[in-house]
Amino acid sequence: MIDSLSRIAALARHNALLRLRDPGQFLSYLIMPMLGMLALKPLYLRAVPGGTTQVATGLLVMFSALALHIVGAATLTERGWHTWDRLRATRATVPELLLGKAIPVYVVLLLQQAVLTAFGVLAVGVRPTGAWWLLGVAIAAWGVTLLAIGSALAAVVRSHGELHAICDIGALVVTTIGGALVPVTLFPHWLRAVAPFSPGYWALRMLQAAVHGDVPRTLTAATLLLAVAAAAGTFACRRMTRGWGRATLL
Amino acid sequence: MLHAENLIKRYGAVRALDGFTLDVAPGEIAGLVGHNGAGKSTFADVLAGLIRPDAGTVTTVARGEIGVAPQHLALYPSATAREHLRLFGTLAGLRRRALTAAADEVIADLMLGDFLDRRAGLLSGGQQRRVQAAIAMLHRPRLLVMDEPTAGADPQTRQSLLTALRRRAADGCAVLYTTHYLPELAELGASVAVADRGRIIARGTSSELLSGLPSEVRVLAGAGPAVSVRTTDPAAALVELLGAIGGPVHEIDVRRPSLDDLYESLTVSRGAQP
Repeated sequence: MIDSLSRIAALARHNALLRLRDPGQFLSYLIMPMLGMLALKPLYLRAVPGGTTQVATGLLVMFSALALHIVGAATLTERGWHTWDRLRATRATVPELLLGKAIPVYVVLLLQQAVLTAFGVLAVGVRPTGAWWLLGVAIAAWGVTLLAIGSALAAVVRSHGELHAICDIGALVVTTIGGALVPVTLFPHWLRAVAPFSPGYWALRMLQAAVHGDVPRTLTAATLLLAVAAAAGTFACRRMTRGWGRATLL
Repeated sequence: MLHAENLIKRYGAVRALDGFTLDVAPGEIAGLVGHNGAGKSTFADVLAGLIRPDAGTVTTVARGEIGVAPQHLALYPSATAREHLRLFGTLAGLRRRALTAAADEVIADLMLGDFLDRRAGLLSGGQQRRVQAAIAMLHRPRLLVMDEPTAGADPQTRQSLLTALRRRAADGCAVLYTTHYLPELAELGASVAVADRGRIIARGTSSELLSGLPSEVRVLAGAGPAVSVRTTDPAAALVELLGAIGGPVHEIDVRRPSLDDLYESLTVSRGAQP
């Protein structure tokens, strides 16, 4: 047990180091939504009721979904560098390797959402009426979901180009359908029917419910997202245990 | 130390291993040679636990007692050589003083001192090869699997690697060494296993395997062209040639068979494509 924890800690420390040495993408996913919140706030205030919450949570969900690329790239680069097989040849088990990889990336996702939430409150003017722990639960659940989906994507794509394309298009489509840019209530009828099939819909619903202190609605959405995360995470683990095989475009 | 018997591994219609059988004893350096696609790297992957054979058995040391240097360079470009040693040492179960002592040993053996704190992405190919080998040797494994460790390496890297390997073998470590550079095996004093199409087609010491191959005797006399014969008894052939020439001789050259000749004779006789 101690050996296992020691290996996970070593892997997490090493992966954190790699993240710290390549912070560009993370910073862009922090700065862009901040600028977006400030620039779009006047428009949202005029266009929709509760415009402040909508612009802050909408952009938070959209840019945290774009950060799927950080999750996927963290895993995909191991393929390109041939280091995944090298790690598999050590005493570390695949769950240990995945945990050691996931912990720093999860911290990055939490940090992004926490900073954007704080920015929403302090600079944009969001006024949470619920408990802070509820916001914490929402952020943690959405982080797990992104982590699992990003890992699953990394396990199926064949190149960084593919990952980039899928993450960018996927994140924009999923969060837009989920109501991140325009509230679902303003959607045409057919699109409103499609929205609940998007994880972005439940993420936005969960975060807005957490801001308003609606515990049941927050927890319902969190449970649903965690179920999606469990499915995606299981798929990613099974795929990576086999080492992806030899065929690769990397 | 290592006993592999009748291994079979298929990739679709291709049989990467097709009845592969090999033994390596403690302290032995076994050179595994063969054309590309002969099954060398697949066998190394089996030993590293990266792939499972479809059939056959492998009996060897525990997983943590195997050190692997894969054919591809497998390093983190943004991590330094020291950080690599720390990570892989910890994963191998080394702690604090043991890790420091083991790291000091491989740093000295493979001459990593000059670039220990430089990021791997900035190192030359030869330096990266040395870091890769250091990771494999760090935890003093009982079985070392070195898959073409000197590919593209400079002479200094080659020499430091071969010296370090001989030292590990002298300490009782079994070494499986795949290569295309056959003279390295002679330098290592390695036994030889020739792989072809997924199986071992010849196995023994260099002298055993070379004993049946002809030497080339070449004599240059007078102004005419050199006379050369291929024979398994070069002394008798030389006496006969000198007797036949009867005059002054300018140059005598006897070329003993090399592992390259053995490799060529075995694989060409089986119709292998180079």
